[in-house]
Amino acid sequence: MLAAVEAGVLLEVAWVSLVAGVAVTVLFSLVVLFSARSAEARRGGSASRAMAYAGLALLFVAAFGVVLGYGVNIMLSKG
Amino acid sequence: MDNDVVLWIVVATALAFDFTNGFHDTANAVATSISTRAMAPRVAVTLAAVLNFVGAFLSLEVAATIANGIVEAELVTPAIVFAGLIGAISWNLLTWYVGLPSSSSHALIGGVVGAAFAAEGADAVLGDGIVEKVAIPALMAPVLAFVVAGLGILLIYRIIGRLRPSTVSRSFRLGQIVTGSLFSLSHGTNDAQKTMGIMFLALVANGNLSSGDDIPVWVVVSAATAIALGTYVGGWRIIKTMGSRIIKMDPAQGFAAQGAGAAVILSASHAGFPLSTTHVISGAIMGAGAAKRVSAVRWGVAGNIVAAWVLTLPAAAAVGALTFGVVHVFGDGATGPVVVSAALLLALGAGMARRVGSGQTLTAEG
Repeated sequence: MLAAVEAGVLLEVAWVSLVAGVAVTVLFSLVVLFSARSAEARRGGSASRAMAYAGLALLFVAAFGVVLGYGVNIMLSKG
Repeated sequence: MDNDVVLWIVVATALAFDFTNGFHDTANAVATSISTRAMAPRVAVTLAAVLNFVGAFLSLEVAATIANGIVEAELVTPAIVFAGLIGAISWNLLTWYVGLPSSSSHALIGGVVGAAFAAEGADAVLGDGIVEKVAIPALMAPVLAFVVAGLGILLIYRIIGRLRPSTVSRSFRLGQIVTGSLFSLSHGTNDAQKTMGIMFLALVANGNLSSGDDIPVWVVVSAATAIALGTYVGGWRIIKTMGSRIIKMDPAQGFAAQGAGAAVILSASHAGFPLSTTHVISGAIMGAGAAKRVSAVRWGVAGNIVAAWVLTLPAAAAVGALTFGVVHVFGDGATGPVVVSAALLLALGAGMARRVGSGQTLTAEG
């Protein structure tokens, strides 16, 4: 009975962890990637490309922030 | 009068456990950041201490006390709680001394189970509760964190593969500050509650409060302060094991381990299935190392850590049962807890004197 009760929760923890973990690492990696590309483009004298990459980096910073904010919200809503 | 003395001994012991919980678990949040030089060691432990203190105020879920569903609640007495706390403190100190990360929650559960078993026999222990709250989480936490961190680091390397190493390292060190902070905050919201719950139960059992009352502010503040002070002191032996003895980490691996760890902890909290932060971050570190190269993980060290996890419950239970036996010899009054507390303080004092005598420091860094 215990196994039956827990199976659904265990599966939920597993897939949510996987999605959240991948989201956190991928989003921050994209921030790093586009920040670096922006810096390279600026050094190469291409202001428009630098701006575009910087915009993408900011977009992923915002998405990363949303994921973190959701995590903090989970902590706060426990009480 | 006797009851009041027992109450205050239980409260003081609970705070002592909270302190050991803090310094034992400092490594969970800061080991990876220190080892990849994302933060200076003292800055890392100070930040972790502050966030643990803040976290303790964010959630006051006292109803979910640590032993709930694991032992028959109506059979629990202050003497059982006291003996359980001594079992947990002893295991925390032993595993700190040998530098092994282990779950403080499982140590506390083990201590209380052992003391309840010694006091009331097998009927006092709820086997299903142990499977649900100890065995399944202990199996699931490290495996899940291992997989998530492993997948995370593979994706990171794929995305940032051609960037300059110095840029990558600098950026992921920044990311580690964020994920490490999230971990510390999460730890504060979980672990300080255990001590608050125990102090609250002791106050209710002694007739100072009724079960429907709010938790007194002094209970919240003292528990938050004890775990923050313990975190600030820092269990450096465990930090060394987690930060550099399991794998040699680069900042991207540190970020993957902390990010995956935080994701697993919070996902489990969201589903109402709390996991040990120690098991999660240890599994995540191993996963981040193994995904890069299986031989990068020192499997001997990992094996010792897993052995400590397996031994946590029975070892803390044995000390809890033994402590209850000693307390029981002196009857139901305050004499037993006073004698055991005095003996432990003398033993700790002797240990410190020996360290001073051999020229070592009195901090947990040794």
